[in-house]
Amino acid sequence: MARLRLKNVNKRWGSFVGVDNFDLDIADQEFLVLLGPSGCGKSTTMRMIAGLEDVTEGEILFDDTVVNDMDPKDRDISMVFQSYGLYPNLSVYENIRFPLRVRKIPKEKHDEMVMEAVRMTELEDYIHRRPAELSGGQRQRVALGRAIVRRPNIFLMDEPLSNLDAKLRVSTRAQIKNLQSKLKITTVYVTHDQIEAMTLADRVVVMNAGKIQQVGTPTDIYDNPANVFVASFIGSPAMNLVQGTLENGVFEAEGIRVEGLPLAVSGNVTLGFRAEDAEIVEGPAQISSPVYSIELLGEASMITWRLAGSLVSIKTHKEYRADIGAVVNAAVPASICHLFDTASGERIAHG
Amino acid sequence: MPHKTFLSFIWPSLVAMLLFIALPIVSVGFQSLYVEHEQVLVVGETCGPFGCTEEVSVDAAAMAALRAEQPAGQFNGLGTYTNASHLATDEIAEIFATSENFSEIRNRIMNLPFYKALIFTLSYTFIVTPLVIILGFIIAVAVNAVPAMLKGPVIFFSLIPMLVTPLVGSLVLFWMIDSRGIIGAALQSIFGDPSLSLKASPTLTWITLFVYGVWHSAPFAFVVFYAGLQTVPRDTMESAMVDGANRWERIRFVTIPYLMPLATFIALMQLMDNFRVFEPIIGFSAAASATSLSYLIYNDLRAAESPLFGSAAATSMLTIIGVIILLLPVLRQNWREFNRKT
Amino acid sequence: MSNPAETKPLPIKVITISVVLIWLFLAAFPFLWTMWGSFKVEGDFFSRANWFNAITGPVTERQHGSPFTLAGYEGAWIEQEFWKAVINTAIVTVFVVIISLTLGTLGGYALARSGFKYTFWLLMAALVFRAMPHVTLVSGYLLPFFQLNIWGYLPTTIIVLVAINQPFTLWMLHSFFLSIPKDLDEAAMVDGCTRFQAFRLAIIPVMWPGVITTGLFSFLLAYNDFTVTSMLLSQENQTMIPQINAFLGSTQEEGKVMYAVAAVVSAIIPLFVLILFFQRQIVSGLTAGAVKG
Ligand SMILES: Nc1ncnc2c1ncn2[C@@H]1O[C@H](COP(=O)(O)OP(=O)(O)O)[C@@H](O)[C@H]1O
Ligand SMILES: [Mg+2]
Repeated sequence: MARLRLKNVNKRWGSFVGVDNFDLDIADQEFLVLLGPSGCGKSTTMRMIAGLEDVTEGEILFDDTVVNDMDPKDRDISMVFQSYGLYPNLSVYENIRFPLRVRKIPKEKHDEMVMEAVRMTELEDYIHRRPAELSGGQRQRVALGRAIVRRPNIFLMDEPLSNLDAKLRVSTRAQIKNLQSKLKITTVYVTHDQIEAMTLADRVVVMNAGKIQQVGTPTDIYDNPANVFVASFIGSPAMNLVQGTLENGVFEAEGIRVEGLPLAVSGNVTLGFRAEDAEIVEGPAQISSPVYSIELLGEASMITWRLAGSLVSIKTHKEYRADIGAVVNAAVPASICHLFDTASGERIAHG
Repeated sequence: MPHKTFLSFIWPSLVAMLLFIALPIVSVGFQSLYVEHEQVLVVGETCGPFGCTEEVSVDAAAMAALRAEQPAGQFNGLGTYTNASHLATDEIAEIFATSENFSEIRNRIMNLPFYKALIFTLSYTFIVTPLVIILGFIIAVAVNAVPAMLKGPVIFFSLIPMLVTPLVGSLVLFWMIDSRGIIGAALQSIFGDPSLSLKASPTLTWITLFVYGVWHSAPFAFVVFYAGLQTVPRDTMESAMVDGANRWERIRFVTIPYLMPLATFIALMQLMDNFRVFEPIIGFSAAASATSLSYLIYNDLRAAESPLFGSAAATSMLTIIGVIILLLPVLRQNWREFNRKT
Repeated sequence: MSNPAETKPLPIKVITISVVLIWLFLAAFPFLWTMWGSFKVEGDFFSRANWFNAITGPVTERQHGSPFTLAGYEGAWIEQEFWKAVINTAIVTVFVVIISLTLGTLGGYALARSGFKYTFWLLMAALVFRAMPHVTLVSGYLLPFFQLNIWGYLPTTIIVLVAINQPFTLWMLHSFFLSIPKDLDEAAMVDGCTRFQAFRLAIIPVMWPGVITTGLFSFLLAYNDFTVTSMLLSQENQTMIPQINAFLGSTQEEGKVMYAVAAVVSAIIPLFVLILFFQRQIVSGLTAGAVKG
């Protein structure tokens, strides 16, 4: 059990900055998810925690010990890799036993510990197989079993589900969540999939280009994105964003005009709102513009406009029909709007 | 991986390479500045039944003492580089000053051992390399098109000329082109000339060596191209078919561009291998008509009484410079790519 | 395969088949011819009368009572003591392969798992050393080796061959280790191994395909070497290839040339066997540089 702290951690290769001033406190037993597009430095951060990558600058602490110069084996962690990193020459049983073997845990305890992990990952029927004879989902569970066989201080998981098909991903996700809450071990989980992040996390860290963009609970991040990047990254579909000008509480851009916004702000702003918050209306409304496309999603229809160069979409009921090019109106009341500074991308507090 | 771990894994390799690659190069550079000691001569008398005769002989003891004192010989600066058996600066100047026409210049330069070897080495390198690529490509395309049961045996037999060491490979051919061997005899009867011998004329010897070079290396190009052909993207090929390209156009516009990087790779390997041509000259006993830079070094080191270390070292240095010039474009390009990456 | 666009018109079929058959003949015939001829006497293999004698062997029959004779082999192996050279070659190749691979796997693994800075310099060195004629290095060895009194011995030659081969070995093994996912040894390290244990427990069990391929090329280098062995070994320690060359000097006398022929065939046979068993690995090794480089 451990609390994990990263103090202004930096990773640079030559002049290339992989992780920029990462500063975070992770509480004991917390399930923390690092979320961001590929290449943003999530794996690098996790690998620094594991000791697989040197820290260029800053400190990493497990409880109160600085671990910067500690070898991975001495950190008492376990890790699930994206491609699992199973030992192809060993059976499932031996794969799971491996950490016990190399850590010189007394032999007589091995069987009990391995079988416990095997039970938790539901691998009872496969213990004598080699990794090559397993399906993707089973291999993933072996990697998980190997990680939990010895109760480590910290669990690290780097995109453990990304090689699974969609259906397996949902069930394994649930299994991971369940295991973590049973074992009560601090977990850092890396993913680029926001649904995984939302469903698993106690707290989410959104990263981009090596920098932390926002830290918060899933709800917090969804409801109050800290900047344009988070707004456009979280949610499916992502938040609609339109650039325009705000004057005297009125936002204006080509095809859209929203009144009743805060008077304190003015100038170039980006207006954001979520597709499910707005609705199509008959009479005059905030959006009034020719339709760019209409897509049938099955449970709903999606109407898209092109406003000031950005595509803006709204969901409506599935029977809705409109011709492309016809003018359609939609209500976007000020209450559902988020404002961002166009120049910096930062959220403008309002309301 | 921290530097310390890295070093703990790689030091044995590193030490081996430093001691036996880097150091010898330094040693070669050093030796090239020295020449063998002049012989210490003594005049002695040998007396026989018919009186005494004066005889000049080498004082072995004095020589041994000198060698022990200065094993590398005596310092000669760049003298070895410029002497007649290397760059021959004086001779070249003289040739240009006194020759009437181009062909005389050429003939006289061809009599200087270093230039003779250099010209053969370069001709060999730049004639054999393109032929290897072309022949290898043709074989690869043909083999790719024949029934599968033929492919295995073809690859098996193709590997032999390449993997058999050049000395042995060239001996095998040498015995066949002997005027009493099957190819030699066949050529004589084809041209109706019972005195025809591939070994007699320098031109024919050169051609024989080139043919050997192509025969030895074409399999390499073939194997690489053949492996490349297996990975030509099917989609591109099929879209070319759909677009109406005929067989030739598909080769011209899909296959060849796709194999181009492989051709560059083969060319690079072949330039390097052919530049050090040496064993075929021994195998074909061709030294009288064709020598290469490597052969010159070998010959100096094999010199009957005492090896000509200085001379061999100077030729070695010149060869190393030649290799670097040859590789310069490749090294430069790699350097640029490396800088772009970092 | 029954795709209509892929069925070829007859002339093209004929041309491709003939190209392949001609090449097959060019590649294989010289060796088969020499092997066959090695069981004849000189009067047949180098027949003044009729080349067909090399096939039927009338002179051989006259001299030995049968169209085949082992005279050449006896002369080479026993009279000229070629068997000593064979033993020396065996010693040299076995040790070169073992030492090259031991050093090469350690170094290649380290290169594959470190940043690409070293790798670049290794590539450059491998390229330059591959291009450099070995005889230029040999001219650097001789004098120091004479001085140190280590000239002429098998161990010296073995170490030199290992070193000369090292850049290439490192390069091949390094590309091979790159194809083993980093996750594997990192998982081992997280599971509690040191870097060296991770190499031993997680990497060594899965590295054999690449090691075998590289080993084949180390074997070929040592087995085929002429330059280094001919210059660095004393007469009694000679290996096969320089020994064959030495035969040539003494083959002016009638009959002796067949000793050289027999020795050449003896040197080729192991390669036949090698190719027979390892054709796939050799091909993949030859193309490795092209595909990955
Ligand atoms: N060894 C390395 N040398 C240089 N750049 C690297 C290295 N490893 C990763 N990077 C770069 O660092 C960035 C972050 O990588 P990573 O942490 O793996 O991203 P991700 O968020 O997808 O896991 C990427 O742009 C990657 O190219
Ligand atoms: Mg990653």
